[in-house]
Amino acid sequence: MEAYLTAMLVFAGIYALMALGLNVIWGLTGMVNLGLVGFFAVGAYASALLTKYWLWPMPLGWAAAGLAAALAGAVMAVIVARLRGDYLAIVTLGFAEVVRIVASNEVWLTNGTDGISGIPGPWRGAVSPQAFNLIFLGIVWAAVGIAFLLLARASHSPFGRVLRAVREDEEVAAVAGKPVLWFKLRAFCLGAAVLGLAGALYAHYNAYIAPEGFAPLLTIYIVLALTAGGVGAMRGAVLGALIVLLLLEGTRFLAQEIPGVTPVQKAALRESIIALSLILLLRVRPQGLIPERTRTRASP
Amino acid sequence: MADWRDLLQVLVNGLMTGSVLMLPAIGFSCIFAVLRYPNFAVAGFATVGAFAGWVANVQWGLPVGLALLAAFLVAGAVGLAAEETALKPLRPAGPLTVAIASVALTLLLENILRFVFANDLRGYDLPVLRDWRFEGIRINPQQAMNVGYAVAAASALFALLAFTRLGRAMRAVADNPALADIKGVDPGRIARVAVFLGAGLAGFGGMLIGLDTSIDPLTGFRVILSVFAAAVVGGLGSIPGAALGALVVGVGEEMASVLLSPAYRTVTAFLAILLVLTIRPEGLLGRRG
Amino acid sequence: MTRYGISRRAALLGTGGAVASFAIGGRAFGQAPAVVFGALPPLTGAGGPYGPAMLRAIQGVVEEANAAGGIRGRQIRVVAEDDQTNPDAGVRGARKLIDVDRVTALMGTWASSVTTAVAPLCWENRIPLFTVSGADSITLLPHQGFIFRTQPNSRLQIATGADFLIRQGARRIFHLAAQSPFAQSSQDVLLEKFRAVQGGAVAGYIVYERDKTAFRSEVDQILRARVDTVFLNGYLPDVTILLRELFRAGFEGRRFTPAYAVNQTTFQTLPNEVTNGVVTWQPSPDVNSGAFRRLQTRFGNVEVDPYSAQTHDHATLAILAAAQAGDASGVAIRDHVRRIASGQGEVVDNVADGLRLINAGRAVNFDGASGPVDFDDRGDIRGTKFRYERAENGRFVVMEIT
Repeated sequence: MEAYLTAMLVFAGIYALMALGLNVIWGLTGMVNLGLVGFFAVGAYASALLTKYWLWPMPLGWAAAGLAAALAGAVMAVIVARLRGDYLAIVTLGFAEVVRIVASNEVWLTNGTDGISGIPGPWRGAVSPQAFNLIFLGIVWAAVGIAFLLLARASHSPFGRVLRAVREDEEVAAVAGKPVLWFKLRAFCLGAAVLGLAGALYAHYNAYIAPEGFAPLLTIYIVLALTAGGVGAMRGAVLGALIVLLLLEGTRFLAQEIPGVTPVQKAALRESIIALSLILLLRVRPQGLIPERTRTRASP
Repeated sequence: MADWRDLLQVLVNGLMTGSVLMLPAIGFSCIFAVLRYPNFAVAGFATVGAFAGWVANVQWGLPVGLALLAAFLVAGAVGLAAEETALKPLRPAGPLTVAIASVALTLLLENILRFVFANDLRGYDLPVLRDWRFEGIRINPQQAMNVGYAVAAASALFALLAFTRLGRAMRAVADNPALADIKGVDPGRIARVAVFLGAGLAGFGGMLIGLDTSIDPLTGFRVILSVFAAAVVGGLGSIPGAALGALVVGVGEEMASVLLSPAYRTVTAFLAILLVLTIRPEGLLGRRG
Repeated sequence: MTRYGISRRAALLGTGGAVASFAIGGRAFGQAPAVVFGALPPLTGAGGPYGPAMLRAIQGVVEEANAAGGIRGRQIRVVAEDDQTNPDAGVRGARKLIDVDRVTALMGTWASSVTTAVAPLCWENRIPLFTVSGADSITLLPHQGFIFRTQPNSRLQIATGADFLIRQGARRIFHLAAQSPFAQSSQDVLLEKFRAVQGGAVAGYIVYERDKTAFRSEVDQILRARVDTVFLNGYLPDVTILLRELFRAGFEGRRFTPAYAVNQTTFQTLPNEVTNGVVTWQPSPDVNSGAFRRLQTRFGNVEVDPYSAQTHDHATLAILAAAQAGDASGVAIRDHVRRIASGQGEVVDNVADGLRLINAGRAVNFDGASGPVDFDDRGDIRGTKFRYERAENGRFVVMEIT
């Protein structure tokens, strides 16, 4: 039981990192990003390839993952800079799918649908599996803590204030003399870097990644996390991730207890409960559980 | 690709593919035009329509035409019910919130269908017809009929919008909600009609997809990105644009399949979106702002 | 299940576990605690058409075994989790099965990516994994004997199929493959086999995205290539569409596809004139074996799909191995699978007979619904035959078993 709970907390931590990254792009800057699983995948593949085939040390691999994802984020930012929210949603959704398809087909680079196995992990093999689990738990939540602190500081800094201004009204921000595109670019890069780091940690924890694992469903879970926690507030992202994981795993036990339905129906019920929870959460708290304290005076 | 005939065949194939995307794309744009949010649940409505048509055709023995009508009505009703219960209460929170809820809604619909019908693939009770051949170009009568149904449904919608009072009211709300309100148009009623029509058309289109492929809970989900591409390329909110966009995307995907690789079909859809949005951010027939 | 000492943190987590343990409950029938096996089939997602039947096959075997007295008097329980055809969900499901339900064997994984993701969890926790996944790389993992794959190595399967086609007179073949780990290796084998024959050629090779629903242009290319055979190397949803498209286009050649891509539901989805003549192949028990006779009767004369046949064997292997060992732990099962699956014992084809003989102290050799299920050192099966069937008026007719 302990191993299971530890593992679930590791996943919660990874989701929390992803939610933090999304929060920078969406919560702070207001740019919808339904393609976050694409940055997650870029980071995962970058670190996996560098550490497995080129034998880079893991911390360097993770840093490279963040950089690779940030680069992808920059490209995406330039492409979508002038798009409105609705178009943004659709285009970013397409981006994640493109990443997954490229990963599936370019066998020379990513090993295709076979995936990359045997990704090294910190002290994996040198300690017992449960000890590895616990060590990784520490690493992930340390990363969450650091990201949280850095991003919270950025959020309260002048940089963050400009991002919020861009979110509220782009044209006003532009009139106020802020180079909007440059700010959007930096926000995208920062958020994408965090997402890429989350991807790297995921790859090294599971020791295996495959294109099939980077499904659009994961994006929905993270959006759910952010919505549950409160779009805009960093603390909300972390809380939301924990809630999502509780929902995902809790419904498993719940569905098991329902009598008289076939296994397929149980599986369908479980996914239905998750979808319904998102809708209900949006109904009850459209601004999330930890709404951002609005500032009454916008600083220049 | 040395022959003009090969090129023409690819064009014909693309038109067939595109016409099947047309109706869900129109449904999507119809809802967007009046309600101003992207309703991602059209994928779910399409699957609902496919299954409703199946029940009508296979379990009740109705002919295809009536089954299509059943698909339209059931999907429209489901869409309207979902809108009223789940999505409308979220409108004050902004279009993005509603859009996210619509993503969850499509998941919910998929799983309700899975609960009732399981994962088994199903087919309609129809003969499979051999292709016609004209000058070496092959066209399938079934697919031609699908094009016919799609065009008929789209035309009916155009006619409704152009010639009826209801249609004029819908266009008024789409153009300028505030002004329409002042002129006595009931925005709530128009919204309901728009959702019913949009979801219904998506369901109709879903049955056409099912006629050409097969029916299972993932039917609508498989074409989701191409449908969005069609709506975006044509200009979000423009119904003729969605029809045109669907044909463009259909032909584009077929050409890409032939010139590049079928494994990159979705990439083509995405690139189509990007290309159009870079050159013309409001889409082919969309309006600025 | 060994524990590596209980740290304070684990103890804190353990209290959380106690709260949730109501859901676990290993209720004891009679005196001994139940044996718990885990199943991880795809109940939703791309594998959704296959998962439910795979799970039912496992449950059927377990019921039969329990009715025959279970494993040395201990009843057997199966806990199933949906892997959603996604390695991420699969890993979380596997962890729950291994750590919470304490399963001593895991079976029924379908997608190669799920199996590869879940395998390290299994061997680290010393639990055998029985799978139907086809990717060659799976048995090459450092699994210490804990993986048993009942699906023949894809190279073997394609090679045997190619030989069959060539015997049937195929010379020009078009290879249409869904994106998967074995698309390329299938192509390599086909090239090797067909080029070695006079007039033989692989006239076309296309790999398509799994969710593809329109194949008109691909069918155009097939027609232009003037082939006598088309190899549909895909899955149920896409092959169903392809068969319809080929019929529409008037393709008169041979259509060859794996048995999992065309099954009973296809006969309900497509009219007979479209499916007539399609040839499928799958691993099979020998035509003269009791296992083959059982296939026809035990599954109610309804065609059993290749995956369910294999998961039927997964459950039987695990149960008989545990009975033979007198111990249902993961390591004991691993060590005894080959003992009851091959060798000099009496041939059995079902779990009840096997249990009866084992309880009487006799040696058994299990031949399963998917073949003789003899495993080599790497966990691949060997010596299996293949059954070739042709669709005729809504039924499959056996052509040959070689």
